[in-house]
Amino acid sequence: MASINKNLLALAAVVLVAVAAPLVMPISIANEIIVIAIFAMATNLVIGVAGLYSFGQAMFFGAGAYLAGYSLTAGGLGLVPSMLIAIAGGAALAGIIGALIIRRTGFYFMMLTFAFNQMAFYVVLVWSGVTGGEDGMAGIKRPAIAGFNLDDRGTFYAVCAVLFVASYIVLRQIKNSPLGLVLEAAKENPRRTTSLGYSVPAAQLTAFMIAGAFAGLAGALYVLLYRFVPIDAISWVMSGNVVFMVVIGGTSSMFGPIMGAAVFVWLQGLFSLLWAQWALLFGLFIIFVVFTLRGGLIELFERLARLRRVREASHG
Amino acid sequence: MTLVAAQIVNGLAIGMLYAVMALGLSIIKGLLNVPNFAHGALFAVGAYVCYTLSTIGAPFAVALLGAFAASAIVGLLIERLGIANLAGSSYLLQVLFLFGTALVIEQSLVLIYGTTGVSLVPPALLSGAANLGFMFLPRYLMFCALVGALAIVAVWLLIEKTKIGSRIRAGIERREMVQCLGIDIGMLLTLGFALGAGMAGLAGGIALPLLGANATSGNDMMAIAFVVLVLGGLGSLYGAVVAGILIGVAQSLATLVAPAASTLLIYVIMTAVLLVGSKGLFGER
Repeated sequence: MASINKNLLALAAVVLVAVAAPLVMPISIANEIIVIAIFAMATNLVIGVAGLYSFGQAMFFGAGAYLAGYSLTAGGLGLVPSMLIAIAGGAALAGIIGALIIRRTGFYFMMLTFAFNQMAFYVVLVWSGVTGGEDGMAGIKRPAIAGFNLDDRGTFYAVCAVLFVASYIVLRQIKNSPLGLVLEAAKENPRRTTSLGYSVPAAQLTAFMIAGAFAGLAGALYVLLYRFVPIDAISWVMSGNVVFMVVIGGTSSMFGPIMGAAVFVWLQGLFSLLWAQWALLFGLFIIFVVFTLRGGLIELFERLARLRRVREASHG
Repeated sequence: MTLVAAQIVNGLAIGMLYAVMALGLSIIKGLLNVPNFAHGALFAVGAYVCYTLSTIGAPFAVALLGAFAASAIVGLLIERLGIANLAGSSYLLQVLFLFGTALVIEQSLVLIYGTTGVSLVPPALLSGAANLGFMFLPRYLMFCALVGALAIVAVWLLIEKTKIGSRIRAGIERREMVQCLGIDIGMLLTLGFALGAGMAGLAGGIALPLLGANATSGNDMMAIAFVVLVLGGLGSLYGAVVAGILIGVAQSLATLVAPAASTLLIYVIMTAVLLVGSKGLFGER
């Protein structure tokens, strides 16, 4: 009963974020936050839940972005088919690459995800006839859907917000599902989990593909948001950024990455206003974060709460 | 035929660069078990230091030594101030720290040198081509292969034949035991990281007249070095050397057939190796 209440409370908090964000900040920033948050939550399924330290999640985000962009422009497809292609493409790419590398652990897995990310980046760079190469893919329009004009910023935000909340619900369900429990068990002790009869690689590959699908969705929404695909969307820096979001938010819940995404988008905006060399400030901030908030914001709050409890206990 | 021979020599030169880069990564991996995501940035540091020293009139050899030293010093600071203090915390934080450091280094280089990138004409002695009778060979390529080979031999001698080297090997094999023997493992890790970082810098310096440099050009090199490391097998320190040279030659030969796809070939080879489930040329220990 208590856990159901806790789940409802967390869901209410996520809905509140989606509703309140455009009221307290420019709607374009709020929109970027909820889109990037989908990407961050998907990454948390891989990094936080499954404990697979991927440094190449941007290739699925980027694949979704380019597939959606291509479907909408040269493909001449509508909104829903384009987004479905992006989601399927993200999942399929994750399936192919995951099948090759999911059994590799630790150091190997990290290097290989990075290497494949760089390969994807290279393909996009060289295949400039289709992708626009270094200049990115431009000229993307938001098609109308079911009579809604997505060029209206509020309407587009509402669509993204619905998908954002839906992604949260689905990813949280997966985290709490038998699959999620097998993943968490395998993270702690893969051998024992295997000996209990669970197929660890199959579970991990499934999670990797689900994360790829949601990263693809986020990529597609990102493209619709900016009507443009920058090549940065598929670069390894984007992969590093999303690891940062997951770490700063904390991996223990799906709410953490949402906060991580908010912090990232805000910082990016703030730093780029201050200085053209904003990535330098961002890098310094990452180093600062690593040394101070070692367990992420959520854990910091938990630590503060514990501190308060201790103080109350000593007073009481 | 001469075209093929020329591409093989070209491949040896490039492959030697990959090998130097990957051997540095391999040492860092062996000692600290962390993928050095700042390796590309350290490559760029080496390239720019080599450029600066050359433009103020230093001999090219000094510029190369400077490239090694500068990156080694940056690496020393990264380990001492960063990684050493994160030893007890999660693997993810160490990697994130290296990512942040890479951003800081790259952006600092952009700040100092601008975004356009630099290039360098090799010194007169090394420019032009040597006549081998049946073909002309760019002197700088030969120099590149030679210096790369010398650097690798020097590191091999250091690690296999000196006292400090035996400690580094012991640190890779049995870290706790080394500590029990009263050897300062912290110092060993710092030195090892500095050595690996220095090799990235040296590769950057050697590559400068060949490829030019900009702040982010090291990242392609880093990705290739990771692939080389996987192909060489993580268990062996020197597997990376063999794999690096093979990759360089294969890539150069591929440019004869399909220039645009030659970089892609590296990843194709990697995928093939993964598919057959091999543990790389020299396997995991």
